[in-house]
Amino acid sequence: MALPKLRSNRAHRASCTTRLLASALALLPLTSASVIAQTAAAPVKPPAVAGVDMAKFAPLPAAAKVNEARVKLGHHLFFDNRLAGDTSNACATCHDPAKGWGDGKPLSDSYTSLLYFRNAPSLLNVANRKYLMWDGRLEGADLGTAVRDMLTEAHTMNIDTRLAQERLKQAPDYMAMFEAAFGKGDPYGGKIYGAIAEYMKTIRTTNAPFDKFLSGDASALNAQQIEGLKVFAGKANCVACHSGATLSDGKLHVTGVPDNPDVNADADRQVTMLRHFATMGTPAYMNLRQDVGHYVVSKDKKDLGRFATPSLWDVGQTAPYMHSGMLKSLEEVVAFYDKGGGDAPAKSPLLKPLGLSGEEKAALVAFLGALTGDKPAVAKPALPKDAPRTHGTN
Amino acid sequence: MSMKSLTLRIAVTASAVALAWPADDALAQGAAKAKAPALATLAPPSAPVDNPTTPAKVELGKLLFWDGRLSGNGAMGCVACHRPDLGWGTGTPISFGYPGTQHWRNSQTILNSAYYNKLFWEGSVTSLEAQAPAAAEGAVAGNGDTALMEMRLRLVPEYRKAFKEIFGTEWPNINDAWKAIAAYQRTIVSDPKKVPFDRYLAGDKSALSDSAKKGLALFEGKAGCISCHNGALVSDQKFYNTGVPAAPEWQKDELYQITFRWEVYQKGVDEKVYRTAADDHGLYYRTLDPKDIGKFRTPSLRELKYTAPFMHNGVLATLKDVVEFYDKGGGPTQTAGLKPLKLSDGEKADLVAFLESLSMTEPLLVADPKLPPSEPLK
Repeated sequence: MALPKLRSNRAHRASCTTRLLASALALLPLTSASVIAQTAAAPVKPPAVAGVDMAKFAPLPAAAKVNEARVKLGHHLFFDNRLAGDTSNACATCHDPAKGWGDGKPLSDSYTSLLYFRNAPSLLNVANRKYLMWDGRLEGADLGTAVRDMLTEAHTMNIDTRLAQERLKQAPDYMAMFEAAFGKGDPYGGKIYGAIAEYMKTIRTTNAPFDKFLSGDASALNAQQIEGLKVFAGKANCVACHSGATLSDGKLHVTGVPDNPDVNADADRQVTMLRHFATMGTPAYMNLRQDVGHYVVSKDKKDLGRFATPSLWDVGQTAPYMHSGMLKSLEEVVAFYDKGGGDAPAKSPLLKPLGLSGEEKAALVAFLGALTGDKPAVAKPALPKDAPRTHGTN
Repeated sequence: MSMKSLTLRIAVTASAVALAWPADDALAQGAAKAKAPALATLAPPSAPVDNPTTPAKVELGKLLFWDGRLSGNGAMGCVACHRPDLGWGTGTPISFGYPGTQHWRNSQTILNSAYYNKLFWEGSVTSLEAQAPAAAEGAVAGNGDTALMEMRLRLVPEYRKAFKEIFGTEWPNINDAWKAIAAYQRTIVSDPKKVPFDRYLAGDKSALSDSAKKGLALFEGKAGCISCHNGALVSDQKFYNTGVPAAPEWQKDELYQITFRWEVYQKGVDEKVYRTAADDHGLYYRTLDPKDIGKFRTPSLRELKYTAPFMHNGVLATLKDVVEFYDKGGGPTQTAGLKPLKLSDGEKADLVAFLESLSMTEPLLVADPKLPPSEPLK
């Protein structure tokens, strides 16, 4: 892919950016198509469990076909601080494989001098989402745009992508990786986003007992986990929202999870929330003191506090939980739903007090453990070094 | 186009006509004094009709000038690269940039910036009100996001109060912040009572040394400096290629090379120009006219006692170096019509003595103000 022809008129810069973005998106359709196909494929029949409609579950979707050269490049970029405006952070800073591809904190850190107002979501199985971002503002199939947003947003990495391009161009080993991944040409934004998106498709749950169980291995769950599955699919009705191959209905719900009081207690955190609302064109954003969730997208009051249903695969690695990180453990999550969720005007009618016994709660937590696979064995790669270029051959 | 900006454009055009001498590439140095606007003392700067200067606005602008909240990382306010104790610049050849980057040009002093009709070395903006955001947002300068900077201001109770009193808005508006900073910058000007040359013009013949007086004669005569450095600002505000050599840093320093290419890329030039760029093209980026390659705006010579090093890339360390540069007729790539001056060593020293008389006898220093704290909104 050649460098898009540089234009002589500044007025064309915007359209240039649009075309770069279009190039990024062009890298993606393969994934979304293959995901749909794989999700629809009927796998091995799972073992029968008394009282459980096993048709509501399916093993993890098969891994997407990926371009290995782009994955390799994306792996390096994911860990590289060159992609932050002040070179102070990388994707991996808030999406650390050792912390379930999140950051292990209730609320995420942010770009230098700021603090973020939501929990950093895990990237496990991120290629299989209906929505991206807690408030569902991005299409799940559009990983490239999510990457672009995280690189360029003022509260995440705050980079001018053209500067990122020139930084990468200064490192000969990166140029070789870009050439292997995309052919000759400059490492412009579309390629950066596309390579990281390709890498993200490889971030997957591995060896989760329940996945093995669904693939026909009846011994993969112990007796308590089987009991938990029964509660999950029956009395607790978790399956109403957490079902299918992704253990998510791909929808948005109001569950009344409390906001994190730290957001409105610290100006450096509150500022990222209000600025997000402002940039989304949210009505009367200066007056908002709650995380309004999907409301920023729809501007419909019924969406106040509505958030995307997360997948439950690998949930044992991704504490703390919820958009606000307010629930520290799976026990707290189970207790939260046992009470029928939290308080919210438009709370989902699916949520009601469950009246679970101590044993049922423990079984449920044990079952959630069975959704959890291996700790990722991903290391930060050795990053390419800068080298002087011949000045005047750009 | 709004009436306001139309009026502004007419005003700018009119002043450009008034200063349209001498012709670009035909500096008649011998006849320079007769034709150039005479050196004069600066009148107090005027403010645009839509941003009148008031004491309260200046006071707010001062705080904002110092405030790192008007940048991407909370620490790169205007003052980061325009420090009072460094002549309101950085004192380095090329300004250090935003963390993780290098800048590519010399940080210009903001002393007397109130008088320019165009700002930045290539004249890319036409007002201080437009200059401030361009610097605050640039990726190798402030790297600030407009919405974030505005929201940061809104979480400062003292700013909410001040903006409401001054601009009448419920919440601080980022464009008003730039206006306040511009108003403050209009107070960072030379005090004629402290400038020897201005005292001389006012009738105090003892204000200039004999050497400086000889330097003045050279400035207006044999050396022909006044061809471009004329009028009260000691600048014709026009653009010339004087052949200043390229910054040596670009030859092998990775950080400088990254910024150099980024600058050329983001200026929006033709691909061929980007591929082969080896020097800063200056005015060309604005006009895309090949005749304008390497042209930069004539800087004022006021206060240069405090603003070394010199030129758009700071490649000349001292005033003596500057005089030597012009004595040789500028650099080999110049298109300004400069000719070797054949000045004697004594004449060069006289010229430097005169140049120094254009600066105040003491620097304009301002202590760091105490910035108001942020507080979350209730």
